Amino acid sequence: MEKIVCKSVSKTKKELLDSGNAFWKNSPKIRLETAGTPLANQPSPYIKGVYDESKIGAVKELSVATYHDTENIYFYFEWASAKPNREIGDINVFPDGLGILFPFGDINQTQIKEMGSKEYPTNAWYWRPDFKEKPKNQISHGLSTSLYTKISSIQSHSSWDKSTWCVVVTRPLKVTGKDEETVELKTGGSIGIGFAVWEGSNGERGGVKAFSKEWRELVIEA
Amino acid sequence: MTGEDKKLTQREEELAKSFEAAKDNLRKFDKQVGMVMDLNKCVGCQLCSMACKTLWTSVEGREYMWWNKVNTLPGKGSPKDWEKMGGGYKVKFEGKVMEPILGKHPTRKEFGDMWKFNWNEVITNKAGQVHLQAKNPDGTNPDWGMNWDEDQGAGQYPNSFYFYLPRICNHCAYPACLDACPRNAIYKRTSDGAVVIDQERCKGYRFCLEACPYKVIYFNFVKNVSMKCIFCYPRLEQKVPNACARQCTGRVRWVGLSDDPKSLIYKLVKVWKVALPLHAEYGTQPNVFYIPPLAPPRLAEDGKLDHSKPRIPREYLRFLFGPEVDAALTVMQTELDKVRNGGKSELMDILIAREWKHMFGPFDKDPATLERKPGQPGSYSRPDMTSLMDQKI
Repeated sequence: MEKIVCKSVSKTKKELLDSGNAFWKNSPKIRLETAGTPLANQPSPYIKGVYDESKIGAVKELSVATYHDTENIYFYFEWASAKPNREIGDINVFPDGLGILFPFGDINQTQIKEMGSKEYPTNAWYWRPDFKEKPKNQISHGLSTSLYTKISSIQSHSSWDKSTWCVVVTRPLKVTGKDEETVELKTGGSIGIGFAVWEGSNGERGGVKAFSKEWRELVIEA
Repeated sequence: MTGEDKKLTQREEELAKSFEAAKDNLRKFDKQVGMVMDLNKCVGCQLCSMACKTLWTSVEGREYMWWNKVNTLPGKGSPKDWEKMGGGYKVKFEGKVMEPILGKHPTRKEFGDMWKFNWNEVITNKAGQVHLQAKNPDGTNPDWGMNWDEDQGAGQYPNSFYFYLPRICNHCAYPACLDACPRNAIYKRTSDGAVVIDQERCKGYRFCLEACPYKVIYFNFVKNVSMKCIFCYPRLEQKVPNACARQCTGRVRWVGLSDDPKSLIYKLVKVWKVALPLHAEYGTQPNVFYIPPLAPPRLAEDGKLDHSKPRIPREYLRFLFGPEVDAALTVMQTELDKVRNGGKSELMDILIAREWKHMFGPFDKDPATLERKPGQPGSYSRPDMTSLMDQKI
């Protein structure tokens, strides 16, 4: 399984939560290929019946770098998007988006393609430009079941320039909020990780997106 | 390309079965409430629209919505040209195969946006200096609205014609919106068959707006969720008729249980067969039915009545209500003639509707007699999502 290593870094939160910071530009990044979600996994007979599978997943790859400052973990993403779709401007306008997926339990039992199951749920961190840099935290027990949780301590900073989205997503490693339903991350530990990207101009939303078909191992160094 | 031609893995087949079972479950209902609207009686006063607006769509991002609206026909309706926006099904093999048809999203302006009026300017200026003007929220001049083509009509005087078409969600037996929702947020209530959107599960993806061929679903830009006519289910629960029906000054609308042979709905739809669904060819099996307009006879050049052809071209009514419209209009005319000649007609007695209470079956309570408890949740709970997830897959 491919590893994504999260090293410790001595930087301020202000520096790290800045998608335009030179630190991120100069950091080595892992390039991840993404694929369109298969129609067979669409719970909607309408989508199955009328959407063209070959056109789902406009974003073909994204780059990721990750660090922690012992308190918070930071993910930095870059991907190509010709035009930023920032808002739901009209009924037929969809915003771009990014998702990070973690399994709550055994990675070998948790289906990334189905966002988990009842026994093996997943936790997604969901960024969208219209969320005003407050990404949503959500729990999924399988396809069509994901729900936002009431509490989310995820933050983000994003910018779009030269046909590229640059997005930093951060969260405290340790879950501090009472009843916050989210994965616990520990330095010196590892966890599965997956990604998804939505290209709004391609009508992508919900399960119509590009995603990483396999889990990667996120190794959080001490 | 639909992926149908690909060989599915065992897991994909299991998933397909489970998705199908989930949708079947959401489509289930014990009782279906239906509505019939008589287009011969509708005068386009929009009291139904205002009753609905006052009750359901005046706040929180719903301001631009018209869960009930009255369009003037022939016209483009609202959203503008909705009949050209696709959605619904191609029905094959006597309904055994429902092949979805790609739909288009209406835009906010095609619905007719929430206009802002310059009331203050009008009030604070001398009479005649400023006239009342509407603007879209983005400052542009409106070029469409809920009933933009009001009274425009068609044909040549003295044989011109128009009629009104009140529209709500059809609370279909096979709702395209329910099928389209990847979140399983849309379901039919088992107790009355109303199609509703679970606001907790809806994430505003808007596949339902694409798939609904009647384009009666709206998007709430404040709450980021889809919304639609709820068939006034909190009123139905209290045995009170839908606000649009109760407020109708023309006594145009009947409400009742579709499968109860004693209900007037049943008599109009299944016995007399004069009430027909709008665009049945969309395949969603609506539970709102229309009695097509007979319209007065044409006038010949010499001023005499011309019965050689109908005032409203029959082809147009067939386009709206299908080939069954011919038989329905024949029955209507026969029964009307019977009464005009001094006879009696059960059908005409129903349609005259002398007593409002008789129009709504078991939903005949006057809302003014109810004890009001604002903020009380409804008694109904939707099919449990956990049980859907429990299905062995």
